[in-house]
Amino acid sequence: MGRYLRRRLIQLVPLLFGISIVIFGVIQAAPGGPEGSLLAAGRFVDPSVIESYRHRLGVDQPVWRQYLNWLGASARGDLGQSFSTSRPVTAMIGERLPATLELMGAAFLFAALVALPFGLFSALRRYTLADMLGTGLSFLGVAMPVFWFGLLLQLIFSVRLGWLPVSGTGTIGASSVGDHLRHLILPGLVLSTRYIAGWSRYFRSSLIGVSRAGFVRTARAKGLTETRVVGVHTVRNALVPVISVMALNVADLFSGAVITETVFAWPGIGRLFVQGMFARDYPLLMGILLMGAVTVILFNLVADLLYGALDPRIRYE
Amino acid sequence: MRPKDGLALLLLLAACGGAEGGGGKTILRVAYEREIDVLNPFTSQNLADIGYTMIEGLVTTDEHNRYIPVLARTIPTRANGLVKNTAGSMVEITWPLQDSVRWHDGVPFTSKDVCFTWKFVTSPNSETYNREQYLHIQDCRTPDDHTVVFVWDGEYAYYDGLFEAILPEHILGALSTEAIVKYEPYNRGPKTIGTGPFKFAEWKSGEYIRLVRNDQYWRGRALPKIDEIVWAFIPDANTRLNALKSGQYHYGRIQPNQVKDVKDLAGYQTHLVSQNSVMHLDVSRRTPHGALIFGDERVRRAIFQAIDRTAIAGQLMEGTVQVANSPINPTSRFHKADLAVPAVDTVMSKQLLDQAGWLMGADGVRHKGADRLTFLISNRAGATDRIAVAQVIQAQLKAIGVEVTFETLESAAWTNKWRSGQWEAVVSAWFLPADPSLTGLYACDGANNMTGFCDPELDVLLKRSDRTLDDQARKRDLDLAQERLIATARTLPLYYNVIPEVVSTRIGNFRASGTNFGSFWNVFDWTLAP
Repeated sequence: MGRYLRRRLIQLVPLLFGISIVIFGVIQAAPGGPEGSLLAAGRFVDPSVIESYRHRLGVDQPVWRQYLNWLGASARGDLGQSFSTSRPVTAMIGERLPATLELMGAAFLFAALVALPFGLFSALRRYTLADMLGTGLSFLGVAMPVFWFGLLLQLIFSVRLGWLPVSGTGTIGASSVGDHLRHLILPGLVLSTRYIAGWSRYFRSSLIGVSRAGFVRTARAKGLTETRVVGVHTVRNALVPVISVMALNVADLFSGAVITETVFAWPGIGRLFVQGMFARDYPLLMGILLMGAVTVILFNLVADLLYGALDPRIRYE
Repeated sequence: MRPKDGLALLLLLAACGGAEGGGGKTILRVAYEREIDVLNPFTSQNLADIGYTMIEGLVTTDEHNRYIPVLARTIPTRANGLVKNTAGSMVEITWPLQDSVRWHDGVPFTSKDVCFTWKFVTSPNSETYNREQYLHIQDCRTPDDHTVVFVWDGEYAYYDGLFEAILPEHILGALSTEAIVKYEPYNRGPKTIGTGPFKFAEWKSGEYIRLVRNDQYWRGRALPKIDEIVWAFIPDANTRLNALKSGQYHYGRIQPNQVKDVKDLAGYQTHLVSQNSVMHLDVSRRTPHGALIFGDERVRRAIFQAIDRTAIAGQLMEGTVQVANSPINPTSRFHKADLAVPAVDTVMSKQLLDQAGWLMGADGVRHKGADRLTFLISNRAGATDRIAVAQVIQAQLKAIGVEVTFETLESAAWTNKWRSGQWEAVVSAWFLPADPSLTGLYACDGANNMTGFCDPELDVLLKRSDRTLDDQARKRDLDLAQERLIATARTLPLYYNVIPEVVSTRIGNFRASGTNFGSFWNVFDWTLAP
């Protein structure tokens, strides 16, 4: 296990190097440059100012040199300075990451708490009206656009009912834990919806599949109670593929957070990424995308390790 | 958790905490449409309102699109004897300054701060967007702490619109220009100081900026009348609209097509604020195909005369905007009100195109030899109003046998393409300051003339209007320039942009302004009723 983990972590280095080349190339290939933000306000800008700006940012250099400069600094732990704010990228990401992690954590937890019991219920009552209704709702959850669902919830719970705030993380000047949780409910719910739908269906299928396995039949034949058959033998084995999917979905949550954070003005990495994209803030985009890549790789590793923990047949070489 | 428990928890949380808060302070809450980059008013690309609330300049603009003094006691003119021609065609302009002004840290504001600001802006690497305008100033003198004298290299019409902010020398004076541009304590607080009615207090990244009352404000201890301003960053237009409708904010800007949603919103009033910004159709002759079509004035006139601007303003924009006949806003004294833009006349358009040799083909599109009368409008993604205008233009031009196609580019890509000049047509808008100089847009060597058009006669008018301090002479030249732009079918003004500002009826003394200074120019005087 230790050797396996070491090997996977060592593989990370060339993998990240390759990823960095690809994302740097993709970012540079997008038409336009950071000087576009000078003109975004629709005002006149002196051409000499544009040249001076490009020179200070180093984007007047050949792309390969820009990449080597970035790579050299990154190897020393310096992800560079944001083009638009002149601040260290690491500091900007550091400020925004907690908000994203909190939103993701809340969405993940909520999705797991709803999806697993829901999947179990559907599996136990399969092909009933309730199960079919659940299937329909799940399709709706997967199909609903995040921004539309977010605005709909704002209209219902904030504008019409006045129960919950529209956006932000707290009432400025009057924030409290309760107030903060109120702000978390709508974005957390929106972000979790598609995972509730997906995971519950996946868990249902997995449970149905496992319940037909020989060892479940044997457990029943041994005279175990239905609660033990389902709770110990069926659920535990059915969870193996579901947990790996959940681990892989953690990385997906980052992409979902881009839209959710924008709709709810949640000050996380997703919104920072959108800002960086419009401003062609190359160092900021590189920093965020690289962090996203590391997250995906690490959660893939976590999923692999969880397989082993949950299924004793799996051994790591 | 049972569904009933979930609902109970939701209701419990809903009961926790109120939206108002603030412990008895009057807090103005603004649903702001963007997050700003830095707090330096000269290097920021989007500071605007927040900056002017903290950092004052020599002048600002009022609701009538006029420059009015702020840190200056009066605006120098020939009439008040503060503008004088000197030897060698130089011009000396003396600005008397307010004498009881202190920076937020208590240090007195003096004429040295003004000269320091001039030095910073004119440094090669200051990255100030309009640096070239300041380069006409040859010297800055400080006869005393409350008088500053600029020596100009000649007459310059918009001398009174510069110095929209002043930098504190005692904070930034020891730094190089490059260091100031990157100086985080000033760019992001806590060393961001000005002389304005509100002081920097807090910037929570991605969420808000909070400003607090300046108790030592130079206009008097009774001002400002509000304790705090919170600028919450809500970039999504629909979310901003919902936030306003939920009553959590006192002020916010929305899109023109959202006006109907707030028409009956209790406790709010919507001001349609006319901007110094004209939506227009520009065509370019810098590509071979563009030159073939738009190089012929008859074709431009035919196309412009087939576009029903009244329908665009009245129906598409739902009557929220006013049809434009000139690039200069009607609120400016330099606007030529009696300018005659030819009315819609598709019969005349067809005749003009026939005369130009573009004959109707069997496919409904005009041809001239092997060339089809078709052109491409480059749209900026997300600019829904401009895209909708382009679609109307497409439909209207079809009636005279002109085919319009589209490409939609993300903002930075669009800007890149526009700068390259390799486009055929755009629906676009510029945001002009209160001063109406058009030279940058339409002069042959104008920094923002990307169309490939060059009209030497227009050049003379524009450049002469820039270099005179005689208002009458300037108006004459700008009137002729506006006439010439229309007579030569150089561009088609469509409508004057408005920004709907949704303002709580609790706010008093609100006087909306559509210039680059915006509506917060008199925020020191605003009140917020309980």
